[in-house]
Amino acid sequence: MTLAELVREDEYIWEVPEGTAPGMRVPGRIFLSDALMKYLEPGAIQQVANVATLPGIQRWSLAMPDVHTGYGFPIGGVAAFDATEGVLSPGGVGFDINCGTRLLATTLFKEEVEQRIDEFLAALFQAIPSGLGSKGPLRLSETELDNVFSSGAKWAVNHGYGDAKDLTHCESDGCLDGADPSKVSPLAKKRGKPQLGSLGSGNHFLEIQYVDQICERHAANLFGLKEEQVCIMLHSGSRGAGHQICTDYLKVFQGASRKYDIKLPDKQLACVPAESPEGRNYFGAMAAAANYAWTNRQMMSFWVRNVVEQKFGATATLVYDVAHNIAKLERHSVGEARKEVYVHRKGATRAFDKDSSYGIGQPVLIPGSMGTASYVLHGTKKAMATTFGSTCHGAGRVLSRKAAKRSLTWKTVIENLRQKHITIKTDDLSAVPEEAPEAYKPIDEVIEVVSKLGISKAVARLAPIGVIKG
Amino acid sequence: MNQLFENAAEALESTLVMLESVALRDTTTIEMTSDSCEDLLYDWLAELLVTFEVNRSAVKKCIVKIAGLSLNAECWGERIDPNKHILNTEVKAMTYHNLQIKKNNVYHAEVTLDV
Repeated sequence: MTLAELVREDEYIWEVPEGTAPGMRVPGRIFLSDALMKYLEPGAIQQVANVATLPGIQRWSLAMPDVHTGYGFPIGGVAAFDATEGVLSPGGVGFDINCGTRLLATTLFKEEVEQRIDEFLAALFQAIPSGLGSKGPLRLSETELDNVFSSGAKWAVNHGYGDAKDLTHCESDGCLDGADPSKVSPLAKKRGKPQLGSLGSGNHFLEIQYVDQICERHAANLFGLKEEQVCIMLHSGSRGAGHQICTDYLKVFQGASRKYDIKLPDKQLACVPAESPEGRNYFGAMAAAANYAWTNRQMMSFWVRNVVEQKFGATATLVYDVAHNIAKLERHSVGEARKEVYVHRKGATRAFDKDSSYGIGQPVLIPGSMGTASYVLHGTKKAMATTFGSTCHGAGRVLSRKAAKRSLTWKTVIENLRQKHITIKTDDLSAVPEEAPEAYKPIDEVIEVVSKLGISKAVARLAPIGVIKG
Repeated sequence: MNQLFENAAEALESTLVMLESVALRDTTTIEMTSDSCEDLLYDWLAELLVTFEVNRSAVKKCIVKIAGLSLNAECWGERIDPNKHILNTEVKAMTYHNLQIKKNNVYHAEVTLDV
């Protein structure tokens, strides 16, 4: 599939017309500026078209400006399926179920933290397990793990890891309804049990940032963000539990797709009717993994707060927590009708126009690549009307991890960070090039596109000063 | 085909851990049957990944025997010790992305890991 097959609808909207690939039920839409077009891979266009063939898809198969080729669905992909006539697809969620981002705003300012950055980073590195095969400090019983799967961040709050107000600052209050731990395999439980309360590796990180630009003053005030204020951003997910749940159901769905006579252009798109027993089982297990991830991030926040208090006598407030790999049952306008749909966001973030705790569009947290800015945005009515309440999730890869390692050395990457006054801590130096800025699209351009489209609006820009790379 | 599966195992294991640091200490047997050759390769590597992630055991060497769509493998390796072994990359999962086995003069398989 080539760029020539795209039809430009608008400055930032490129349509993949129905008929581009056999069996498309709706057109595709890719949101890109001219500057981002050079990064668009033919494989990603094909995947947008493939998703459009799945039963029950509504309006469009969408791709956000950080789109790149994934497995089955593109990363940056959003698709909504009718709740009764449509499907659920593990490939539309991804292996790291409820991989997401959380932001804590401290009472500290840049100057006081910069002077003690090494000490601060070392304390955080010690407090939060990170890296390959990292394990949490808890030894959970099977019953407690099931409670985590059922209750999400509430489990952590009930066990002293934060307070009830934190829950109102989490997407879905940190707990997805419909979780069913009995649909999680013993193997997934075994993988998840030792890892609760750990960052993991790969692109997961903890970053010490400061607010270097306020883009929208009113919203920034509501979110409690001020210039030079130090924030902590966490990026992590459901660890081995989520990976195994996705693997388990992909296997089940291979056979079940045939049983329900669903024609698949790609095995990784295996799906079943949402209302089928297999679909209900997957949703129960996927929601359990989502809840595990919210618990995980809540626990790590508690340790961050401890360090902030012990080292500086300061506090940290949860600004928000968003998921960017998830499927959720939501109500949206489709044409003239209001419909229940399963919105699959794979490398895409919810951007609802209302948040009850802040009274404006929900906070949207978009991490940049290591060493570049991250953004806080808010959701909009335009997102509700055009993207099922969704926006981008990050900068989006342009180099595979392997290609990044081939073209960059860790010494160069660390030196480049040092020149920007950014300190890094990791127990795996060899993996540092994988997350270098050169491996990602420019975040500022991605944010410019979603802001100009109006599917979310920039509130504040955060610059990094310290990174723990998982 | 046997050698293809043995080489695929080595490719996966060396992604996970520096195999030079792993000794041939423990032996395990893995048996499975799948619906197609591609599925068998997927299931084989998924089983090795689970062995690594859950049992924390690395496989350095294996002898695979395939009969039809069934596999029997004798595996040698040892339990991971963070003080002794150098871990490489955390592999989240096997994927079906572009999964294929081709035969020209030799068998050639393509497998994509989510890392």
